[in-house]
Amino acid sequence: MSRTQRIRAEAVAAWHSFLRRRTAVFFTFFFPVLLVVIFGALVRTQPTDGGLFAEPAAYYIPGYLATVVLFTPLSRVGSEIARHRDDNRFEKLATTPLGRGEWLLAHTLVNVAIIGLASLLILGLVIVLTGAVVPITPRLALLGPFIVGAVVLFCGFGAILGRLSSTQDGVIAASNTIAFPLLFLSDTFVTLELLPGWFAPLVELSPLTYFARGVRALTYGPAIEKPYGPELAVVAVLAIVFFVAGAYAIPRTD
Amino acid sequence: MNEAVVAAGVSKRYGETVAVDDVDLSVADGEVFGLIGPNGAGKTTLVRALTGTTPVDGEITVHGEAPTAVDADRIGLLPQSFSPPARLTARELIDYYGGLYATARETDEVLAAVGMAAAADSWYETLSGGQQRRVCVGIALVNDPDLLFLDEPTTGIDPAGRQSLWSLLEELADGGTTIVLTSHSMTEIQRLADRVGLLQDGRLVAVGTPAELIDSHGGESQLVIDTDQAAAAVDALTDADFAATAGSTEVVVDGVSPVEIGDAVAVLSRAGIEYGSLAWSEPSLDDVYLQLTGETFAAGDADSKAVTTPPDASSPTGTESQQEGAQ
Repeated sequence: MSRTQRIRAEAVAAWHSFLRRRTAVFFTFFFPVLLVVIFGALVRTQPTDGGLFAEPAAYYIPGYLATVVLFTPLSRVGSEIARHRDDNRFEKLATTPLGRGEWLLAHTLVNVAIIGLASLLILGLVIVLTGAVVPITPRLALLGPFIVGAVVLFCGFGAILGRLSSTQDGVIAASNTIAFPLLFLSDTFVTLELLPGWFAPLVELSPLTYFARGVRALTYGPAIEKPYGPELAVVAVLAIVFFVAGAYAIPRTD
Repeated sequence: MNEAVVAAGVSKRYGETVAVDDVDLSVADGEVFGLIGPNGAGKTTLVRALTGTTPVDGEITVHGEAPTAVDADRIGLLPQSFSPPARLTARELIDYYGGLYATARETDEVLAAVGMAAAADSWYETLSGGQQRRVCVGIALVNDPDLLFLDEPTTGIDPAGRQSLWSLLEELADGGTTIVLTSHSMTEIQRLADRVGLLQDGRLVAVGTPAELIDSHGGESQLVIDTDQAAAAVDALTDADFAATAGSTEVVVDGVSPVEIGDAVAVLSRAGIEYGSLAWSEPSLDDVYLQLTGETFAAGDADSKAVTTPPDASSPTGTESQQEGAQ
């Protein structure tokens, strides 16, 4: 009961703090919307043309979702840690009963809520603007676990970045440097056929690859019969690993 | 009496820099312990060591346990340069930090105690610096701790707010709360602290009650006479067995008790010395601080000990009122 109360207190404070920063809210939702509009509605490369964006629109749903699932937790959690450190908040929290894992869980829950809403928005926009067809099957319900798992994973990753970077600017720079290659080289927007053969093993090393393939198996017609279980298992295991590592990475004072 | 905090041989280095150097310290239950010292003396590092938020060499116990093992519900901390999450009201911040503890004081009670009831629903960043600091003090008090660490709690607070916070801390101390307080305000420390420790270059160079430290290191009371006839004044006062020394436009007379001020004034009158003002002061923690740290006062420093009369007292009438004021 007491642990729940502590996590709730931290999450409510983080939620209010985020919602009242209008620019943060705007850009959290605007960035993925911009991507959908540019690549989904404006570029609209035909499937027969080859090259980038040559697949049917629904193929790219994992990529659009990945923009929020990847960028938002990395930058938000990392920046929050940098802010906490600058303002001596961790020094204060270290003398309260709130544990580091509880702190990260509270902020992860807030990110799950924010990214859940952003994902619904993106999914709706992709369907409306690009004419993507998403098969409505019971499997679609598993989109939730994939998104939650990936958010947990990248919140843990963000916590590690926050620990390693000494400033908020450093966190943003580091998260962008990591997120951009991951976003485009994880079987999301760029198909494996477009990459050199020697690069394929590197794609397998990206956690986002398993998110993308799993989500595609749930939302893309031609892949709907593919298994998603192994991908979900990988995302779940990595989520646990990164969450634990992230919780340990959260600084106290020194 | 039980010891709330015991530190033995505590040292902390940051690379080549020694922040805290072999400090031994104990704070009794219910005591208010003041830590003073110049910037960079190690006060904040020592507070961090005592609260377990930085690893150190040496041994520290808080309520008989390691600082990191002690029941967090019993500890309150206001870190230096602390700023809580943005876009939350004062009330929400007290609610938030209260929610981290098993039991917490009523939010309205805390807000009233720190004088923030009227501005409770304002966002933290819209408050003045002094109001923000009061909210931070409220955050430190929200769990009604037995042991409270306050690292420069009144920085940025206006005189009225400072007085009300001092009253609040006195109430807490009267109620048995142990307080470890760092401050640059000697007035604050002299008013609140039962005992004082002075840190310099990471070493605890003196510990004692304010009265003990003043007796040992404060020097004598002084009478400072502002006059253009300093040399003549020194001659006259020395002939009358006063220990007077001359500056360019002032004469300092050491060891003058309040009842002797009239005698000194009479000496000046008889010698026909004109003066602009007289200022008499007792030794205080300021003097202890200056003596032990080797620092000097810059003009305009806060908490100056001297009580100075208006510069219109160039006549015996002026000195009469001076004498009354001093007594």
